[in-house]
Amino acid sequence: MSVETRRNLGTVRLPAGFNGLLPALVLIVLFFVVPVLALLLRSVTEPEPGLQNYAALLGDGTYARVFFNTFLVASVVTIVTVLVAFPVAWMLAIMPSALASVVFGVIILSMWTNLLTRTYAWMVLLQRTGVINRTLIAAGVIDQPLPLINNLTGVTIGMVYIMLPFMILPLVGTLRAIDPMTLRAAALCGASPFQAFRRILVPLSLPGVAAGGLMVFVMSLGYFVTPALLGGTSNMMLAEMIAQMIQSLLNWGLGSAAAFILLVVTMALYALQLRLVGARRMSGGL
Amino acid sequence: MKQIITGILAGLLATTLLATTAAKAADMVFTSWGGTTQEAQTKSWAEPFTAASGIKVMQDGPTDYGKLKAMVDSGSVNWDVVDVEMDFAIKAAKDGLLEPIDFTAVPKADLDPRFTTDHAVGSFYYSFVLAWNKGAVSGEPAGWADMFDLKKFPGKRTFYKWSAPGVIEIALLADGVPADKLYPLDLDRAFKKLDTIKSDIVWWGGGAESQQLIASGEATFGQLWNGRVFALEKDGADVGVSWNQNLTAADVLVVPKGAKNKDTAMKFLAAASSPAGQAKFAESSGYAPINTKAKAEMPADAVKSLPDAHVDGQINLDMNYWAANRDTIAARWYAWQAK
Repeated sequence: MSVETRRNLGTVRLPAGFNGLLPALVLIVLFFVVPVLALLLRSVTEPEPGLQNYAALLGDGTYARVFFNTFLVASVVTIVTVLVAFPVAWMLAIMPSALASVVFGVIILSMWTNLLTRTYAWMVLLQRTGVINRTLIAAGVIDQPLPLINNLTGVTIGMVYIMLPFMILPLVGTLRAIDPMTLRAAALCGASPFQAFRRILVPLSLPGVAAGGLMVFVMSLGYFVTPALLGGTSNMMLAEMIAQMIQSLLNWGLGSAAAFILLVVTMALYALQLRLVGARRMSGGL
Repeated sequence: MKQIITGILAGLLATTLLATTAAKAADMVFTSWGGTTQEAQTKSWAEPFTAASGIKVMQDGPTDYGKLKAMVDSGSVNWDVVDVEMDFAIKAAKDGLLEPIDFTAVPKADLDPRFTTDHAVGSFYYSFVLAWNKGAVSGEPAGWADMFDLKKFPGKRTFYKWSAPGVIEIALLADGVPADKLYPLDLDRAFKKLDTIKSDIVWWGGGAESQQLIASGEATFGQLWNGRVFALEKDGADVGVSWNQNLTAADVLVVPKGAKNKDTAMKFLAAASSPAGQAKFAESSGYAPINTKAKAEMPADAVKSLPDAHVDGQINLDMNYWAANRDTIAARWYAWQAK
């Protein structure tokens, strides 16, 4: 360790008990940093040294479409998740605590159920001969089955359902921290309920929305099972493409390059988020 | 600090020891695709093999070509015998990922030459057949061309999702290419034909999915592995099947380069490809034996449901062509699918 970094560390002030964190740090370096570097190396050395893998990925229409799909799905999923999670989180925040812990239990329990099982359950519900379409047809609402699966709709429904807890939990934390008196004060000053919501509640809840939104967006970027099962081939996302390159085509150079691009984009988003919201407010939100 | 490092080292050491003892508990490792196929392989090959030789076989899976390559590249090969698709086996042999088969240990004389190479012994062979849900389809599809006839047969049709021998050939046959003129594949023509029904295709990624799609009527008809149709029929599902121009392909057994128990692996291959092993497996899976003597050991009604009973008009998918063109076809296939 050079003198300079030593001084830097000094100004940051190592938290008490830093030595206790060392094993974790060693673990992260050994099992995360080193493999990531190996991945980067592979992406510029296989099949031969050079940047041809990156050129192939960025210059090809198919790959561009997969990148676009990935961001489209992640964005749509994040927006819908925020819209669905907000009322749930607000309800949890103002509920009597005994009832709230029961609802929390239900939400957490859904996270413990196997992901594949839950995704298959959606297949049964959403397919053309599935529960939803059959019910609607029997009720005379529609006469042709709605296309709910093998498209963006299916992917969005399946992923929002899986992502909801990751949005609700940080949001409840933020919403609970808001002093209810601020809303009462707004009402006393003549604000309509909607104005109070838009001008008081929404701005104050933003750190929670940002924290949860980022988590959902980043997790969605790397999602594999749900898009593969509920989406169509034209909804292919990056993770599925990478798996294909690594597992069946054995094109590790190209797969590594794609994985590295995904990693860089994710990191960049995270950095942006830190700047916009501020690290302290974000961790406060969590 | 010193304590911490000692702690980490002790931990790592303990893990390594545990891993080694776990591997020692078995004498060799067999890897396949899981599901009913691997169950049948365990019952028909591994269990009798262990009973006869005392050699313990550990089951692992599913087969993952990326993992296989990683094992060979890193020199730490945990798999001794692996069930893979034949076109992959030919390509992998060229890439130096496989051990040559020791035919002094594995009797070759009765093995179907279509599915035997220097680096692979057949596992089983199967046909892609046209299967339909009798309740959902109007009339009786007669051949591949009907899968492209949206007027006569409206509704969703299902095809195998991955780039592999099969769908391209079906499109060409449906477009009127004679069976003996299939290769080299005219990809432009195939994709143009597939474009005509693209929005009505539901893709299946695995055998169970194909069964679910047909049994539920989600897809009215499709291209299925004959063993999966066989299982549907056994379960009493109301399915019809056409063997017209059925397309054969095979899974083969290979030994990864540097496998730790190579000699044991060869003995296992001999047992798996023996008439008895092949007959037993074929009977429980509906897939065809690659040992020509196996049928004599099977019940007559089981033989009737094999692809061997439908050689009239049967077409052998060209594994060598696919092995040579796997990557180029895959690139076009996935680009076309993503459009």
